[in-house]
Formats: sequence, structure tokens, C-alpha cells
Amino acid sequence: MKRNKVFIGIISLLLVSVLALAGCSSKDDANKEKDNGKTTGDQVTVDIFQFKVEIKDQLEALVKVYEDENPNVKINVKTVGGGNDYGATLKTTFSSGEEPAIFNIGGPSDVEEYKDYLVDMSDTESAKIALEGTLDTVTQGEEVLGLPFNQEGYGLIYNKRVFEEAGINPDEIVSFADLEKAVESLDSQKEALGIDAVFALAGKEKWVIGNHLANIFFAPEFNNDPMQAYEATTIAFEKSDELKRHLDLEAKYSVQPVLSLDYSQQVEQLFSLEKVAMIQQGNWVFNSIYDMDPELAENNIGLLPVPVEGYEGKIPAGVPMYWGVNGNKDDAVVQASKDFLDWMYTSEAGKTAVLEEFKFVPAYEGYDAEQISDPLSQTIYEYASEGETIYGWVYPAAPTGWSENVLGAAMQKYLSGDATWEEIIDDSRSKWEVERQ
Amino acid sequence: MRNRSLSFWLFLTPVILSLSIVLIIPFIYGLIYSFTNWNGMVATEFLGLKNYVALFKDQEFLASLWFTTKFALVSVILLNFLGLGLALLVTRKMKTSSFMRTVFFMPNLIGGLILGFIWQFIFINVFGSLGDLLGVEALTGWLSTTATGFWGLVILTSWQMAGYIMVIYIAYLENVPRDLLEASEIDGASSFQRFKNVIFPLVAPAFTVSMFLTLSNSFQIYDQNLSLTDGGPFNSTQMVAMSIVKKAFTENKMAYAQSQAVIFFLIVAGVAITQVYYNKKREVDL
Amino acid sequence: MKSSKRNHYLIEFFGLILALLWLSPFYLMIVNAFKTKKEIFTGVLGFPKEFTTENFVQAFVDLDFMRSLFNSTVITVASVGIIILFSAMAGYALARNKSKLSGLIFLAFVAAMLIPFQSVMIPLVSLFGKADMLNQAGLIFMYLGFGSSLSIFLYHGAMTGISVSLDEAAIIDGANRFQVFWHIIFPLLKPISVTVGILNVIWIWNDYLLPSLILSDSAATIPLKMFLFFGQYTKQWHLALAGLTIAIIPVIIGYFFAQKQIIEGVSEGAVK
Repeated sequence: MKRNKVFIGIISLLLVSVLALAGCSSKDDANKEKDNGKTTGDQVTVDIFQFKVEIKDQLEALVKVYEDENPNVKINVKTVGGGNDYGATLKTTFSSGEEPAIFNIGGPSDVEEYKDYLVDMSDTESAKIALEGTLDTVTQGEEVLGLPFNQEGYGLIYNKRVFEEAGINPDEIVSFADLEKAVESLDSQKEALGIDAVFALAGKEKWVIGNHLANIFFAPEFNNDPMQAYEATTIAFEKSDELKRHLDLEAKYSVQPVLSLDYSQQVEQLFSLEKVAMIQQGNWVFNSIYDMDPELAENNIGLLPVPVEGYEGKIPAGVPMYWGVNGNKDDAVVQASKDFLDWMYTSEAGKTAVLEEFKFVPAYEGYDAEQISDPLSQTIYEYASEGETIYGWVYPAAPTGWSENVLGAAMQKYLSGDATWEEIIDDSRSKWEVERQ
Repeated sequence: MRNRSLSFWLFLTPVILSLSIVLIIPFIYGLIYSFTNWNGMVATEFLGLKNYVALFKDQEFLASLWFTTKFALVSVILLNFLGLGLALLVTRKMKTSSFMRTVFFMPNLIGGLILGFIWQFIFINVFGSLGDLLGVEALTGWLSTTATGFWGLVILTSWQMAGYIMVIYIAYLENVPRDLLEASEIDGASSFQRFKNVIFPLVAPAFTVSMFLTLSNSFQIYDQNLSLTDGGPFNSTQMVAMSIVKKAFTENKMAYAQSQAVIFFLIVAGVAITQVYYNKKREVDL
Repeated sequence: MKSSKRNHYLIEFFGLILALLWLSPFYLMIVNAFKTKKEIFTGVLGFPKEFTTENFVQAFVDLDFMRSLFNSTVITVASVGIIILFSAMAGYALARNKSKLSGLIFLAFVAAMLIPFQSVMIPLVSLFGKADMLNQAGLIFMYLGFGSSLSIFLYHGAMTGISVSLDEAAIIDGANRFQVFWHIIFPLLKPISVTVGILNVIWIWNDYLLPSLILSDSAATIPLKMFLFFGQYTKQWHLALAGLTIAIIPVIIGYFFAQKQIIEGVSEGAVK
């Protein structure tokens, strides 16, 4: 009987905790109400919901500086891991009533989905100094619905020491033929150079091949304009042969099997430990390389453009993500959100952090290129200021998920030998057409 | 308690309410939506069987259906084999048998998502360096082909669930009367004969239970699929459950995904009913 | 006789090797969690050369582990609590009422076990979204719906062993139905409550898909946090392995203390 009492005790405890929880969640609702905009006293709370895991700590540190300067503003940063999951998590966050004040949006389809929430930011200082063209995809009529995060650019990142020892001058690689020659020369000296292969192609990452590589070759047919791609009912793939040629080259001279290589093996294991001469990646890899080998990262890496006929010597750069502000919030919160973003991109402290801590290539005027600390970002900013960057990032304007899940997956299928190039191109095109009917 | 008595209904209200709201109503809604162009918010058009027709022309869906079926069949065989083997092993009189039971059962308590990440590390990094070390090429590049992705998933789920199936077989094996075994031993029956003639008939009912469980579990696997291969390479290791989730929540094709979900229900329920029916019949025949 | 004894030891030896093999994934996870990022790429198989505990510290902080542990605990305890209580009540009522209607309701619950989660998932999330119930309370209610079928089935089975004369005697003494249930029947159902509890705890603690569709970041349970180290461009194995190890620890502790009950409970739940 005594044991039964203990048992009943446990059950009652459970019940009490359920009730307590019910109580808690109603209290949470009350809190939520507050967060939803009503300011307590002079305190304003701004919730930021962002996707870039790579800058999580740095952004939190910057927020602290801002809070110290503005004691009436409280900013919570939430970061969600796993790039793919951000969209889904954002949706959940909105539907569960914990709407953030500041969140991230990608291409035109995100703008479409969230346009009821997004406020006009054309009155911000940042919008006025945003580099030309960076606001195109988030502009609707007179309204600017997002502020660019940063610019990112990509190409072939190479190991300077290996190139030098092999007697290759990166400046002379302009056309595809040049690249092919350099690759063959590197391949023949593999043992002397101490490398396993010329390339490491991260075939496991659909975004490396489907988003980034393919983007270089299909952007030109939309005049490098995401809005044209967003409205296009089909994709001609004018440069599909060139894409195939380049993909074949990277795959042939890569560490095998290509489809097993993921980002971390490509960048950290193979490139950072100097097992390969080149990888196709962007300026965001700097921190990954730096963590493994600071000396290599700071002094021994460079960035080459992927050669495309008619666009030689140009680097694809663009804005991968935008900051949006949620108009459902109280006016004070909206204003505080705008103020913070403005401060981040225009104040001296903010600018320094953006350059030196986030390691961003700024998408705004008025930054000192000298201050950009890493060589990859510097190269991209230089190309940008000389007008040598082209190709907007067109792939976010493709039908939702198309570039990664359709084209990227199809390219994997080609690499595995399970489909021919013609098959995957036709299949990807017809899926684009179905989506845009 | 009589039907009309208030207390009868009071006792049932919470579960009936939750079952209806959580399962029955969404199930009916889902069935209806699958015939429309529902986008998650509103349905403006009745499409008839259009979603279903498109579904059976969708190579990717058919591929995932086939992949799932293959996976379920292989898993069921392997799991029952392993589970029974482990059960026979740990029911022997040994000093270490309880330790073994503990070990074999352990993976079953940990979530498939976590286990999938651990095995991803093992298949890619550990297998890779073992392969380099021993010069065995078959160990490198795991999860990068459809075949290794398939076997990776089979190994992961077998490792995770074998202990569970083991526990079920143990429950039946412990019912095998010890004197019966001893009698057969004195009669000079070999281990194999003993297994075939004495043990097997007695654990036959365990097949009903464990095959039902393994088959329906293998069909519905999602977490392991997500963390181990995420469907890659080129979505060729994507199982039906994952295909539904991706179609609905990544691509926003709600009605289309729901028609997949309806087919999925028909298959899972059909398999379960057939299986229970046949096993019951066999038991009676025995 | 001698050879059979040698066989016996041989089998035990084989069994132990198999058990070690079974544990090897955990061993590899833990050993590598103590390595630096660089060493994971250079040597996966050996012991760590530069033994570091920093991965654990950082993973613990990044996962916001105390918070997710708390979230997981709240969801699990509350859901399992109401599943036990309400399923026991229903199992009792259905077992004591021998009418056709009662049999039909019982059958409906058993049949509901055939519906896979994915086939109701989309309308469910949309329905709860419209009702503004995509939160912890909504999730707990859903767990009651998904968990009650099997639990009622188990309680219903256990009720056959409890004589009706107990009810009748108590009612003659002036107790009402709820008192009979609470003071007499529910305590007698304790063994099956333990089974029901264990089965549901294992399921709910580890569940990923349903909470991932419902909980926002601040309410995230442990499994939802596991993606943190797999970023858009990065895959940080050194932190991920440490994080996975931390996430497993509570389960291992629970298993250590309630091993016997867990194995018995699971076997009972499956066999009945």
C-alpha cells in the first residue's frame, strides 16, 4: 500500500507539472504580447532570426556593443543551423506566433512569400548607400523591402605555393584552354608537388554544383538579371556544353570518388592540408581555412575566375541574402530594427565589425578596401570596384528548390554515370517549365 | 458501466477528443485535399484524380517507393535473423549474458537522428581512413553511391533495432520450458535439430509480432534517412516518408504531397493487415 | 562433453566480440570528440594526440544545452503524464463496458494505430496553425492523440486481470466511479503504467519530425538542436561529435538506473 502511495504521489506530481506548464504557457503568451511590440517602459526588444552560423558569435558580440550604446534597446539573436532548414524554421516561427523583428530573405520568391510582413526600408541610410544593382530583387515599385547582407563571390581558389612550384602563373589563366593546360601540367607534377589531385570537387554538396557552378553558365542567358530569371517560363541552357566541359574537367582531375566529397572534406581536409591545388568555392571559406592553417589562409591563397566564353576574367558576385524587417511589430520595434541595421552598416564600429569580424565583402559604398582583412574578400571587392564582377546571383530566382534539388541532383546523377548530360539537361528544363506554367 | 452513464463518456472524452482532432479529422481533410489544388491555406479547385495521375508518372516518387520497399524487405529479413540470433546468444547460461543484453539493446533507446549523424561520421571518415590504411577500395566513398547509401541505411537500422527484436524473441524463448530442452539434449538431438524441432515452433508467434513491427517501422523511417544520407546522392536514397516532407515543406506542394501521403497510408495499412492476417492463419494451422 | 564445454566458451567469446563491435560507434564518437578539428582529418582511428575538452565546452554553450534539456523534459513529462492518466481511464471504461458501442470505440483506437504519421502530418500542422496552437501545449495534445491508441490497448488488456467485484464492493461502500478508478483500479494498473510510461518516454524524447514542424527555436528540444553544427557552408565534426555525446548522456544515465524496467517494458509493449 505504501508503494502505491508513492506511485500516486508521482502521478500527482506529473499532473501538477502539466498544470504548471499550462500556466507557464499562458504566461509565455503574455510575454509574447509584450515582445510583439508593446514596449515596457522605454525598453524595446528586437528579435533577430538569422541563418548564417558562421557569424553567430561575431554578430552577438556586435549586438552587445550596440546595447551598451543604446541601453533602451534589447536585441536577441537567434541563429539557425543547416542552411536548408532556415526557410522551414522561419515558417514555423511565424506560424507559432514568435515572429522575429528582423529576419533573412533570399531571392524574389521569398519576397513574394513574405511581402505582407516586410516594411519599406527606403528611408534607411543603408538603402541609400547600397551598391548599385544590389537592391533590384527586393525593390517593388518605390519600396525597398530588404537590405543586402553582404556580397559573396566565388571562383577557383588556388594554393599559391603549389602554383609557383609548378611554374604556373595564375594571371595567365584566362580562357578554358589556359585552365585546361594548367590543370594538365599540375596533374603531371602531382608527386613532386605533394598533392593527391589537382581539384577537390565537392560533388556531395548539391549547392556547390547546382547553385554556384551552374549559375555562372546560365546567368548570361538572363542577362545576369535575377528578375528576368524570375519571370522566365523556360531555360534554354545556351551554355550547357560549356558547363559540361568545366564540370568534366573538375571531376576528372579531382580526388575520387567525387560524389563522396562534402564541403568539409573539400575545404578543410583536402585544401587546407594542401592535398589539392584548387577548389571551386567562394570567399566564405576563409574562416574554415584559417582555423586549420592561418599561415596558408593569410598568405598563400588566391582566387581565379571560372572561365566563361565572352565573360573571361570576371567573377560572379552577388547578394545571397537580405535583411527584412517585420511590419507586424510595433512601430517602435520597427524603428529600432531599422536603426540597428543602419548602425551596423554605417557607423564606424559597425563597419569595422562587418569587415574584420564577419569577414564580409560589403555591399555598400564607403568602405575602405584596405581594411578587408582576408585575401579572398579583397580580391572580390577589387573586382567589384573595377566593374569586373558580373552575373547577379540568378539561382535564387529559379523556381523554388530548382537549382539545388533538380539541377544539382541531376548533375550528381550525371557524375555518377547514371544519366547522360542530354538527359539531365532536358529533364531539368522540363521541370522548370512545369513550375512556371 | 453503461453507455448512457455519464462517467463512461467522461472517462473517454479526453482520448476521443485528441484522437479525433489529431488523427481522424486531419486524415479526412487530407483525403479531401488530395483531390484539390490545396496550397496549405486554401483549395480553389477540385482536380479529381489529377494529383494521383501525376504521382504515378513521377519517376522520383516511384523510385523512392521502390527504394523504400527494397529497404523494408532487406531490413525485415536481416533484423529478424539478427534479433533471433542475438536472443539465442544471450539466453545461454553465461556470466556475461546480461551485459550483452544491455549492450545490444542500447542503440534502440537513442534517437534515429543522433545515430544517423554518428554513422555518417563512421561511414565517411572512419571507413574512408580504414580503406586507405588497408588499401581496400570498397571502404572508401561510402554514402556517395546509391548502393552504399542503401547498405548504410540497412546497417544503421539493423544496428539500432536488432536489440529491440532480440528482446521480443527473448520473451518467447523464455517460455520454452527448460526441461523440454534438457530432454531433447539427453535424446542426443543436435543443436540444429533442437532449434528446428523444439525452439522454432515455440517462437513462431514472435514472428507475427516482430515482422509487423519491423515492416511498419522500416516503411516509415525518416530520421535516419535525414541525418545519414539526406536522400543523396541525387535524391536516390530518399524514402517515401522523406519525399512527403520535402514536397510539402520545402517545395510547398501541399496537395501533391498529401496525395503521396494517402498512397503511403494505403501501403502501410495494407501491408500490416495482410501480414497479421497471414501470420494468424499460419499459427492456427500449426 | 568436453568439446561442448569448449564450444560454450567459444560462443561466449564470440558474443563478447560482437558486443564490443556493437559499442564501437559510440567509442569512435567519444574518442574523436576529444580531438582538435585538424586531428579528426589526419587521424580518425587512434587516440587523441592533443587531448582537448574544449569541444565539449563549446558544444554545450552553443547547444544552449540546459535549456534544450529543460524543454525536452517538460514536453516528455507532461505528454507522458497525460497519456498515462487519460489512457488508463479510457482503458478502464472500455473494459468495464461490455456493450457493442464500447467494442466499436476500442476497435477504432486499435485501427488508428495503422495510420502512419506522415499521412496526417500536413493537414494536422495546417489545422493547428489556423487555431494558433503551434506551440508546446499543442504539441503535448498531439502526443496524447498519437500515443493513446497503443496505451489504451495495453491498459485494456491489463484490465482483464482485475476483477469486477472490486468495483462493485467499492460502489456499495458509496464511492463514485472516479474514486473507484483513482483509489482502486489505477494503483493496480501500476505495472502496465510503467510499461506505457517507458514506451512513450523513449518515443517522445527522441522524436524529431513532429516537434521540428511545431516548436520555435526557443522551445527546441534536444534532437532539434542537432543540426546546429551542420551549417550552410560548414560541417564541424569536432563540435558535432561532442554535441552528440552530450545529447546521449541523459539517455545513458536513464538506462543505467532503469535498465531492467526498460527492457521488460519494451518487451511487454511489443509482445502484447
